[in-house]
Amino acid sequence: MQNKVSVLVAGAGLLLLLVAPPALAHHAFAAEFDANRPVRLKGAVTRMEWINPHAWIHIDVKKPDGKVEKWMIEGGTPNTLLRRGFTKHSLLPGTEIVVDGYQAKDGSMKANGRDLTLPDGRKVFMGSSGTGAPRDGKDPTEVKK
Amino acid sequence: MPDRLRGARMAFARAAVAALLPLAVATAAAQARPYKAPRTADGKPDLSGIWQALGTAHWDIEGHAARPGPVVALGAAGAVPAGLGVVEGGEIPYQPWAAAKKKENAGNWLAADPEIKCYLPGVPRATYMPFPFQIVQTPKSILMTYEFASASRVIHMDKPGFESPFDTWMGHSRGRWKGETLVVDVTSFNDQTWFDRAGNFHSDALHVVELYTAIRPDALLYEVTIEDPKVFTRPWKMSMPLYRRLEKNVQLLEFKCVEFVEELMYGPLRKKLAN
Amino acid sequence: MSQLVLTAVIVMFVLAPAPIAGQASSARAKTPAARGAWTPPRTTWGAPDLQGIWDFATITPMERPKELAGKEVLTAEEAAEFEKRTLEQRNPDRRDGGSQADVGRAYNQFWWDYGTKVIGTKRTSLVVDPPDGRIPPLTPQARQRAETRAEVLRRPAAGPEDRNLWERCILGGNAGPPMVSGAYNNNVQIFQTPEQVVILNEMINDARIVPLDGRPHLPPSLRQWRGDSRGRWDGDTLVVDTTNFRDPTNFRGSRATLHVVERFTRVAADTLLYEFTVDDPQTWTRPWSAAMPMTKTEAPIFEYACHEGNYGMVNILTGARAGEKAAEEAAKTGSR
Repeated sequence: MQNKVSVLVAGAGLLLLLVAPPALAHHAFAAEFDANRPVRLKGAVTRMEWINPHAWIHIDVKKPDGKVEKWMIEGGTPNTLLRRGFTKHSLLPGTEIVVDGYQAKDGSMKANGRDLTLPDGRKVFMGSSGTGAPRDGKDPTEVKK
Repeated sequence: MPDRLRGARMAFARAAVAALLPLAVATAAAQARPYKAPRTADGKPDLSGIWQALGTAHWDIEGHAARPGPVVALGAAGAVPAGLGVVEGGEIPYQPWAAAKKKENAGNWLAADPEIKCYLPGVPRATYMPFPFQIVQTPKSILMTYEFASASRVIHMDKPGFESPFDTWMGHSRGRWKGETLVVDVTSFNDQTWFDRAGNFHSDALHVVELYTAIRPDALLYEVTIEDPKVFTRPWKMSMPLYRRLEKNVQLLEFKCVEFVEELMYGPLRKKLAN
Repeated sequence: MSQLVLTAVIVMFVLAPAPIAGQASSARAKTPAARGAWTPPRTTWGAPDLQGIWDFATITPMERPKELAGKEVLTAEEAAEFEKRTLEQRNPDRRDGGSQADVGRAYNQFWWDYGTKVIGTKRTSLVVDPPDGRIPPLTPQARQRAETRAEVLRRPAAGPEDRNLWERCILGGNAGPPMVSGAYNNNVQIFQTPEQVVILNEMINDARIVPLDGRPHLPPSLRQWRGDSRGRWDGDTLVVDTTNFRDPTNFRGSRATLHVVERFTRVAADTLLYEFTVDDPQTWTRPWSAAMPMTKTEAPIFEYACHEGNYGMVNILTGARAGEKAAEEAAKTGSR
């Protein structure tokens, strides 16, 4: 038993190579976003595009000098969220979010949303509303029906 | 006076009735028994098959004379054929701002028409694109799959309360049977598709109701009501036949047009070859 | 994770075609005892009913990890440990390993849907033939092609053709054919009529129509991205034969000579056993087969309009051009 577990543990690193999903390579995020240009943005959502292949969240970031920068933040496929009960109303305009990510290689105000959190530290689309189930009221960014 | 012609009159009457009776019966029959499609295993009209619209609705759903196209080099092959129009009443009832927008779209066709970029055509445009589409009919879901851009949509027959959580190109379809007619209610559209190549458009408030009725073994009648309070002054209708594709072993082929538009859309972003 | 590891991942998954193997018979022998005893529901015309929405997310890898060589099946405890370890390793919410790795992990966990469980048989690979659970070797030409392809994907894209079919939004990465478990949207809906079966993959909204009437394949001159499929019943199993692929295909670098045979068998109320055999003498040294059970789900399939929202392709190309411009400018400054 011990041996089997240790084989699994030892193999875990290699396993990651083997089980890492095609998506890790599929989009070549490194081709779009620059690992040397990390950004941390805090801004109010103006709208969210619930589109494929990647959702895009538009935010207004207020700079210290008062200027507003309009950023586009790339997410994953919205279909995963939709299946968990989120809808196009789930991230309301005006909601403050914090984006930890990497800026686009072309220098434009786009970044991948590597980590999306609310100001209190919770992940933006945490949990689920349950597919078809009544909303559990735990996500304040959701519209309550 | 004895009526010597009475016999002749009676004979004539009898002959007339004999001659006209089949016609009378046939007319009555035609009025009493409209065409009924064969049934599926679950007893519904079977609309399965590969269908295609004829005519020029894909160019312009309103009546129009022939006109030149925008690409001179295509000559006659790029010109727009005439059409009687499929819009009932002739004209689409645009609100004034929308009528101006339609004109702007039409003048800007090459740059603005989503079809040119191989974007999904939406409903009802997908139905009358110059490509076949296939109806795959099962009791709980009817799949409509279109050769153009491999567009497809599922019509939910058993979930009238199922709302779409987001807006889509092909809309969200819920269907039911009303006698011989398949009634499809389509909602949750985005505002990105057009109705044709003439710039006729809608907003994200679009609501479409489609009726599919078999009128002959090889033809359906397709009737569509369009409702969009942001764009039109009232609901309006279009209708046209859909013809069965009868070729032996006919099947939908692939028209995955993304690769045909990459040069158009991304050409300027290509690496320039060194001189 | 280092650049080397990321490259290895890319090589493994994007470029590694595999040799060809024989029929997938061992999977059938190893599937649960219920297989022989259970009768599938039937459609109103008497065919086995395969209809519904099926989810093929799974944590079981395509190939048996080298460390598990010779171990065909995990015990329940081993499977639980395997799942736990994999989820920890794979967790996208971890931020360690440096910025390259971080960018590579891309997004929060809530966007992904790899699956959290191994397949029900607890087999250590989806590959069932060759019996060692490893994809057979590539032909020398295929190995060369793979290296060239890796190089093209590594460098800044010259044009859209440099990128993969799924990045171009032409075909979905997990749809094949054959279908393989991927990072998300591992969903397929099956429709059946007496004349055909239709396989609707969520990515990229592709409906593969499979006639059952015995008609021949398309002529060899007519080639399609998803090939041309024909179906027939073999007892309670739907057998789908696909040929007429374009070059290159959507599957592990294979060529137009790819031949795919898929088998669909409803083995339980909520399980559709999906098996495939692939054969391409230009890619793998022998045919090979895999078995990937799918689970019934009530969750709907959503529209996946990919090309319509493909900002990513624009960004990849503008990023590449910006990089070249910066290099040019640096060279000019350097040479003054």
